Amino acid sequence: MRGYLALLRGSITIGLVYRVGFLFTIFGNILYMAVAFFLWQSIYQNTSTIHGLTFNETFIYVALGSTIFVLLKTYADWQIAHEIEDGTISIYLTKPVDYQLYALCLSLGSTLTNLAAITVPVLLMMVLVFRVNFPLGPGLLLFPVSLFMAFLISYFFDYATGLTAFYTESIWGIGTTKDILVSILAGALVPLQFFPDAIQKVLLLLPFQAVYYTPLMMITRPNQDWGTLLGMLGIQAFWTGVLFVATRLFYNQAIKVLRVAGG
Amino acid sequence: MSLIHIENLQKHFRILNRHPGLGGAMRDLFSNDFRSVRAVDGISFDIEPGEIVGYIGPNGAGKSTTIKMMTGILKPTAGKILVNGRPPYENRIRQAQIMGVVFGQRTQLWWDLPVIESFKILKEIYRVDEKTFDAHMSLFNDLVGLSALYSQQARTLSLGQRMLCDITASFLHNPQVVFLDEPTIGLDISIKAKIRSVIKELNQMRQTTIILTTHDLGDVEALCQRIIIIDKGKILYDGGIKKVNALFGAYRTLKLQIDNFGPTTLQTLQDGLAAKFGPENGVTVAETEDLWTDVTIDQARTPLADVLSFVMSSFPVADVRIVEISMEKVVRKVYDGALG
Repeated sequence: MRGYLALLRGSITIGLVYRVGFLFTIFGNILYMAVAFFLWQSIYQNTSTIHGLTFNETFIYVALGSTIFVLLKTYADWQIAHEIEDGTISIYLTKPVDYQLYALCLSLGSTLTNLAAITVPVLLMMVLVFRVNFPLGPGLLLFPVSLFMAFLISYFFDYATGLTAFYTESIWGIGTTKDILVSILAGALVPLQFFPDAIQKVLLLLPFQAVYYTPLMMITRPNQDWGTLLGMLGIQAFWTGVLFVATRLFYNQAIKVLRVAGG
Repeated sequence: MSLIHIENLQKHFRILNRHPGLGGAMRDLFSNDFRSVRAVDGISFDIEPGEIVGYIGPNGAGKSTTIKMMTGILKPTAGKILVNGRPPYENRIRQAQIMGVVFGQRTQLWWDLPVIESFKILKEIYRVDEKTFDAHMSLFNDLVGLSALYSQQARTLSLGQRMLCDITASFLHNPQVVFLDEPTIGLDISIKAKIRSVIKELNQMRQTTIILTTHDLGDVEALCQRIIIIDKGKILYDGGIKKVNALFGAYRTLKLQIDNFGPTTLQTLQDGLAAKFGPENGVTVAETEDLWTDVTIDQARTPLADVLSFVMSSFPVADVRIVEISMEKVVRKVYDGALG
């Protein structure tokens, strides 16, 4: 455990080393938020709700959605693939660490730095500049838990994608396909309510929605009853568990390519 | 009990036969045309605690593959391998605790962080306590002057400084065995000497077993009492350094660039040397592709200085270089029975 905490600390420190890159990420995000604000404002000009969502709800959804997208974007998939391709993974295989947890700590480190540097400023901007009214409710209490599980699920997707490098030697195609699939199916681009009913029902059962849709619901619709909220959290927890085990099994298979076929 | 026990160890790789060109690459996508390569082909040896063993051989001989099996990264195709009584590929995490590894081409330091941070992370990963850590760090500081580098990012270190840090880092958790895979690759003479002395001192102070693979025969001469020579996956020689040392030490190659080099020059040179130093003179002449002429001299039989002065006075020599014998030549001589 001590070792993993040290890895986490190291990863956070790296994030802070590159200060300039950091500032630009914040700037880019604020710019995106402004664009989204005016875009959706003009869409909502002649109507007060679309698919049952008000402008306020949609804007919170889209702006926070993009923030969470950046927050969870730790490039773990590319990093893992890179370590596999150039053989750096050998170094970690000679250390007393579990690779899945090692990579998880690195990923969590950059998410935490993103949280402090991007998510918090964006939230402040939304309240202070765009005058967004956040609805209140019990969902807000569950939001941090939901967000953490969203991180784990997103990391497991990245991890599995990265591991495919054992087979393919390059994850270019798979990586970009995964990014697009996740952002559409998870409702990061448009709220899931905008999809046709049948598709919506299917999507709500898949693990993708647990990455964006669930935490965003906690904050845009926090005043639902506890049963509904905990139900959503339960589905997230279910997928977190399933993906944790699945990616472990996948690693055990994939590492054989290296250990048996050679590196 | 020996620390490392290897018996008839084998590792085979399946390699796709790639075809040339765009069409070939397309075909390779669906090709099932594999060939099997025996990277390690039935080797056996034992290594005792505290030894420094030079594990040498030309490129592609199977050195790194063996190291990767000893460190538990690769699983053997067949044969037995025990490190500290256990197979390294089972329970990798427990085995990792008793060994240190340096791959010369890579670094275990965190590229973007100050060096000291990497050491602190390793301290936690290996669960080294505070007191031991401080003692080790002050030792490393005495040996390599590490504290001067603490605050530098690893990416800003020179190759030699980085290697010194990597080597000391691999000793941090006081492992029983340290694997050094090409630790001096690409370094200049003075830093090589420094690295050798650090390795030697750490070995003596801690009685750490060290397995060293290298291309540089100087490393072997400076550090090892025992060497194992491997080529094409098989062991050619396993024994004391003395015999082999005579082999490396005695041979020097004189590289000559001769003006007006003609088709008969080589023969003239050969005849001249034979006439001057006798037929069994231990001097061989060969032409290399880059227009240099290589004269390899066994100094036990004919002094280098004599050959040099003879050549200089008899031929229009434009340029001269003296080089030590290469790993490839040593291996060829071993094949030819030089170690009897």
